[in-house]
Amino acid sequence: MRDHASHWLGAYLDGELRRLRRRWVESHLEECTACQRELNSLKTLRALLQESPAMEPAIASGRFAAQVALKLPRRQEQPPAVRALEMGWRMVPVGLLLVLAFVQTVFIVAGAIRVALWLGLGGDVAAVVFPSSAGGVSFPDVFALSQASLVDAFQMTIGLVRSGAALAWLPVLNVLLLVVIGMLYWSWLASWWVRRRHQQLTASNGLG
Amino acid sequence: MRRAARRKSRPVEIELGLIRQAQRGDRRAFGELVRRHREGTINVVYRMCGDAALAEEAAQEAFIRAWTNLPKYKPRSPFRNWLYRIAVNVARDALRRERPSVDMDSVVVASPERGPEAAAEVEESSQRVRQAVLNLPPASRSVLVLREYENLSYREIADTLGIPIGTVMSRLNYARGLLRQTLTPYMEGA
Repeated sequence: MRDHASHWLGAYLDGELRRLRRRWVESHLEECTACQRELNSLKTLRALLQESPAMEPAIASGRFAAQVALKLPRRQEQPPAVRALEMGWRMVPVGLLLVLAFVQTVFIVAGAIRVALWLGLGGDVAAVVFPSSAGGVSFPDVFALSQASLVDAFQMTIGLVRSGAALAWLPVLNVLLLVVIGMLYWSWLASWWVRRRHQQLTASNGLG
Repeated sequence: MRRAARRKSRPVEIELGLIRQAQRGDRRAFGELVRRHREGTINVVYRMCGDAALAEEAAQEAFIRAWTNLPKYKPRSPFRNWLYRIAVNVARDALRRERPSVDMDSVVVASPERGPEAAAEVEESSQRVRQAVLNLPPASRSVLVLREYENLSYREIADTLGIPIGTVMSRLNYARGLLRQTLTPYMEGA
């Protein structure tokens, strides 16, 4: 029976086969009388099924709709506070993105200020920000962070922090904030996924 | 071409509008949806349970469930398919509660032009067919009803019942195989 097209005949009759499979069935049908008989039998069955009449509803359309309307339960509306909370929860990723953009802007501006001070544009303020004369770390050290390897950068950062420079905390703070924002985003994503699964389950139960 | 496409999409847009209104709680919009899908829904339930009175009752139940779950409906799949899914489930529940029976009153009397004998024959054949469909396992029956009577594609049936397309095909093959066995005498006469 394996060589026959029996398995595909129903789908062939329904017009559901893809081109290659349909061609195969058609060429098979040209030479196989058993499959031709089976296809004819399926066609007869379809005709017989179609003969069975559809139901003539006893209740008129308008009355049916009215009866349904009478039985419709009141939908439980969400209170405004819950709706606001829901909206707020949905906006969490946007909020996090805005915070990230703000933090990065602050660090870029801080970096620009640092460069300006190092170039001597800030006058006496530079001495406060880069206390290199007090044995701390100079701006070139800070600048070197961007070119250093991860371990070196870490060690240099520790050195900068120990030196007590006013802007030395910035890279540390930046990394910390990035980690916090990243963690918050992943937590939100995880809770969103759990919530979605829960909603899908309850929705299919509701329909069942 | 564009005009034709626009003309075709208009009813879909109107229905989407009704769905959105009903989702916001508009009962009149939902009433319109009920009127639009009443016949199809009643017939799905009727083909599933074979009892006219039960079918109308169950169809009403299906619409009530649809109303309750409407806020969760997302128009990714057609509303009709979503509704049929509910109707099939309601019919199954109704069958679990009550024993199925073929309703003699619901049988449409054949055309008098054929003569009383031919009419009686057609009527008997219809009864047999309906009974044979009712004797199918519910899972295969729902697939067969959606394909043969509601003309849904395999993809639509798969979406409606939440099963893979391969399962749709195998259930249809199984149902047709069983029907061919049961209805052999009528098929020979056809």
